Amino acid sequence: MTSNLSRIGFGLAPLVALLLLWQAASAAGLFPPQVLVAPADVVAALLAMWRNGELVAHLSISLTRLLIGFGLGAAAGLAFGTALALSRLAEALFGPLFQALRQVPVLAFLPMLVLLLGIEERFKIVVVAIAAFFPVALAAFDGVRGVPRSHFEVAKLYRTPLLPFLGRILLPAATPPVLTGLRIGLTRAWLVLIACELLAAGSGIGQMMEMARQLFRIDVVLAGVFVSGLIGFLLDRGVKLIERRTLRWKAA
Amino acid sequence: MNVTTLFDTPAAASPPIDGALTIAGLSKDFTVGGRSLPVLDGIDLVVRPGEFVSIVGPSGCGKSTLLRLVAGLDTDFAGEIRLDGKRITGTDLDRGLIFQDHRLFPWMTLEENVGLALLNSSIPKAQRARIVAEHIALLNLAGFEKAYPHQLSGGMAQRGAIARALVTEPKLLLLDEPLGALDALTRIHVQTELQRIWLRQRSTMLMVTHDVEEAVYLSDRVIIMGAKPGRIRRIVDIDLPHPRERSLPQLHRLRDEILAELIQPVPTPGEPENLVRLPVREAM
Ligand SMILES: Nc1ncnc2c1ncn2[C@@H]1O[C@H](COP(=O)(O)OP(=O)(O)OP(=O)(O)O)[C@@H](O)[C@H]1O
Ligand SMILES: [Mg+2]
Repeated sequence: MTSNLSRIGFGLAPLVALLLLWQAASAAGLFPPQVLVAPADVVAALLAMWRNGELVAHLSISLTRLLIGFGLGAAAGLAFGTALALSRLAEALFGPLFQALRQVPVLAFLPMLVLLLGIEERFKIVVVAIAAFFPVALAAFDGVRGVPRSHFEVAKLYRTPLLPFLGRILLPAATPPVLTGLRIGLTRAWLVLIACELLAAGSGIGQMMEMARQLFRIDVVLAGVFVSGLIGFLLDRGVKLIERRTLRWKAA
Repeated sequence: MNVTTLFDTPAAASPPIDGALTIAGLSKDFTVGGRSLPVLDGIDLVVRPGEFVSIVGPSGCGKSTLLRLVAGLDTDFAGEIRLDGKRITGTDLDRGLIFQDHRLFPWMTLEENVGLALLNSSIPKAQRARIVAEHIALLNLAGFEKAYPHQLSGGMAQRGAIARALVTEPKLLLLDEPLGALDALTRIHVQTELQRIWLRQRSTMLMVTHDVEEAVYLSDRVIIMGAKPGRIRRIVDIDLPHPRERSLPQLHRLRDEILAELIQPVPTPGEPENLVRLPVREAM
């Protein structure tokens, strides 16, 4: 218990130091106050936006996009990766294309996607889906391919029926790498979504920051930085928690 | 009922249990790098119902391959394998196999692992939980039903694997170095348990082992295999009643004899071999 608390305290120490440094720098006037606003101003901006509902509105729009885009991309990735792992034909046919495309940074698709889809809602959802698709597909492929032959042999020996085989042997065996892939896909989707909103959007956390930048409201920009970082952190932690819950059978 | 008296009676007196294994002209090749590699060549063997037979032989001589063929995990071979007259064409719950590693699923508790073996059995669902609990208790694992494999010691996990293999009550149990991974003391414990269970269930046992002492202690017969390609070099009868005293001088003599045979250079093909054949007492 104490060690847990002290560990959290330890992790927070650099953050507190950074805040103090920041406060000191802005108090010393190293940069113009419009450029380097004080932490206190950022907190004030955050609180104001929270109270007038602006923050919640932008945030819920961004999270909705994330949810839909990630849901579509992850589902497609799971199906595609599993099919690729189970079928030699699918692997021979789509494997090389998949391996090549997954090397392309998602942001490199943006110019073409803007031309094809415009900058409306579906554009952002497609980009988020693409960002989620590749890590999840790769994890599903590796997860299912990585199921050791010995598992299949035990199932064969006891003539395990198909449904229990899929649900109680294949699925749990592939789950650890797949969960890691989902976690990476989710945080990557969030990053790419913020980037998209910064570039082209009428709403969302990223757009809120871009608007504020144009109005020289750096306090609001930094509030956006804080919020997007916090959300990314919470998403990562959330999936990690699910991982730990479902993988309790693993040796500590 | 004493199992040894059963063996001493001629087969004509219709043995009360089944589990007779007949292997005839069995050969197996693997293709490695485009070349065909003979692994087993002309194996003939008859194991009587309820008999405990051990196989010893140099590493790589095809012992595991032989067990996998009998289990039905690999059906690509020449020759014939029959259990109670029925040709083996695949896996079946009438044959159990214990691997060298326990192969329990790490995400299932012990009782789920053991219960898995019954998913496709004819035993009514209502009785399965009781049968699983009985077998867990039989291997002295009561109290660990809800434990995951990583919470068990190596010896306990291996006993769990034995419980899983026994729960379907196979007529023939195949054991591939089941105690190979255990320390000497645990090994002796589990050997004793294995013997107790065998005397109780009287199923036929075919066990591969590297431990000649273990082989002579547990078996009615010990098969010595030779390598390249794998074949039966010699069969040694251990004509002593069960359960046995470990310190029995006859056991030590037989162990030394088998060890000497194993160390001997492989006779060149064509040269007459010192084959000690069992008097023909085949069940069929
Ligand atoms: N799937 C396979 N493909 C190709 N060769 C194989 C395969 N399985 C086994 N072999 C070969 O068959 C031979 C016998 O292997 P096997 O595992 O049956 O030996 P073993 O007698 O059990 O050895 P050990 O005592 O070391 O366990 C070895 O030469 C091995 O290389
Ligand atoms: Mg082997």
